Amino acid sequence: MPRESLLISTLVELADNLVDHFDVIDVLTVLSDRCVEAIDVDAAGVLLASPQGDLQFIASSSESIRTLELFQIQSDEGPCVDCYRSGTAIVNRALGDAEVLWPRFAPMALAHGFRSVHCLPMRLRGRTIGTLNLFRTEQGPLSDEDAVVAQGLADVATIAIIQHRSAMDARTLNDQLSHALNSRVTIEQAKGKVSQATGCGMDAAFDRLRAHARSHNARLTDVAEAVVTGAFEPSALDLGAAERSSRA
Amino acid sequence: MPIERLIDIYEELARRGRLGAGGPTLCVVAAEFIGVSGAGVAILPSGGLMTSLCTSDGVARALMDLELTVGEGPCVDACSSDVVIAEPDLDSPQAPGWVSFAPLALAAGAQAVFGVPVRIGAVRLGALSLYEQHTGSLTESQSSDAYLMASVVGRAVLAHQAGAPLGSIEHELARESPFDYAVHQAAGMVAVQGAITVGEALSRIRAHAFATEATASALAGRIVFREIVFDALSREWRETWTTTR
Repeated sequence: MPRESLLISTLVELADNLVDHFDVIDVLTVLSDRCVEAIDVDAAGVLLASPQGDLQFIASSSESIRTLELFQIQSDEGPCVDCYRSGTAIVNRALGDAEVLWPRFAPMALAHGFRSVHCLPMRLRGRTIGTLNLFRTEQGPLSDEDAVVAQGLADVATIAIIQHRSAMDARTLNDQLSHALNSRVTIEQAKGKVSQATGCGMDAAFDRLRAHARSHNARLTDVAEAVVTGAFEPSALDLGAAERSSRA
Repeated sequence: MPIERLIDIYEELARRGRLGAGGPTLCVVAAEFIGVSGAGVAILPSGGLMTSLCTSDGVARALMDLELTVGEGPCVDACSSDVVIAEPDLDSPQAPGWVSFAPLALAAGAQAVFGVPVRIGAVRLGALSLYEQHTGSLTESQSSDAYLMASVVGRAVLAHQAGAPLGSIEHELARESPFDYAVHQAAGMVAVQGAITVGEALSRIRAHAFATEATASALAGRIVFREIVFDALSREWRETWTTTR
């Protein structure tokens, strides 16, 4: 698809998702996936700060990024941590010569096949609530256009977090952040159940939960919660789209 | 600086003594840390009725008893919520839902009450209740401290359920991250393996980690890699030596 059509369809898809009752984890996962398609990057992930201000993983386009993001949080080192602390973007940072800056993170990212990284702050009323992180397997800089689009998508991610379910009850930013992070934990619990009950891997378990939510017009977190509490059996998940698309 | 804030809580808990069930320490520290007049913790045993774990003072105890008796109030609501329940002015309530609770809570000495859900993902463990002797909402930093304290309470409740020896709980809390995703995935897996609830699985994982002197996080990693399973019939953990996946 030409780039402009891709961008337009991405924005329409996100706008569609942002009305009514949407699931924040699902939207941020869509956003990560679309970054990879619409911008010249190979992987994307979103970190969110808890109400107390520590970064947590919330969504990503691939498992290898998730590992890198978690590593940064655990070791308290890396571009996403720096971007969050300073509230300013880190763009076009080559990983090959970043070993002084990030002695543990840089070699690990290189080992995962990445050569450069970009981190964009998600800012709201002077407070940084998270970061959108983009990884490339090439070293060259992002085009100016890509950089603008990336910051635009980071802003959409911010809106997604503060908007979700806010029409239903007045919530503070702390409520929104706490809710989003707890949603992620619920989804991990559900992934464990689905993985054990159906013998699939954690990634496939996530795809199944997501596919079921989509085909039943339900929120991902609600499906996950029903699985965790036992209201819904993992074996009854509609495998539909996830399985079909992975076979295609 | 959240880590420092967390360390403050643990040091205060350790200084004041143990986190035993019924002991007031946890609630006293919660009230001081968040900066409110008093606090209480109610727990929801799986499938059971809400019960009081601890309260910081006489008013908090009266409020808790009241909620358990009339079946309404901030703790009751917070137990089924995922955000803080707030009533900044019991005299002229914004949401007039607590017909029995509100006048009695005023008489007991509270002007404002709050309920903070204590949950880990979809596992609802109970609620932290807070009261103030004056009207007014929680400030932004109080609400962020309330969420932080609720996560400490959640882990203390789990550790207590898992039979952690008193005195080791603070230490266990301090070295465990609430967002350790492997632990949550493992809890889901163990729930299916043992045909138990995810809440019980969380507590079983901790109990086995204590018993084998491992961290919950390390044990969770082995569960996710299917090196160890919880057997539904024997109710015991079993190492798997198969190489098949």
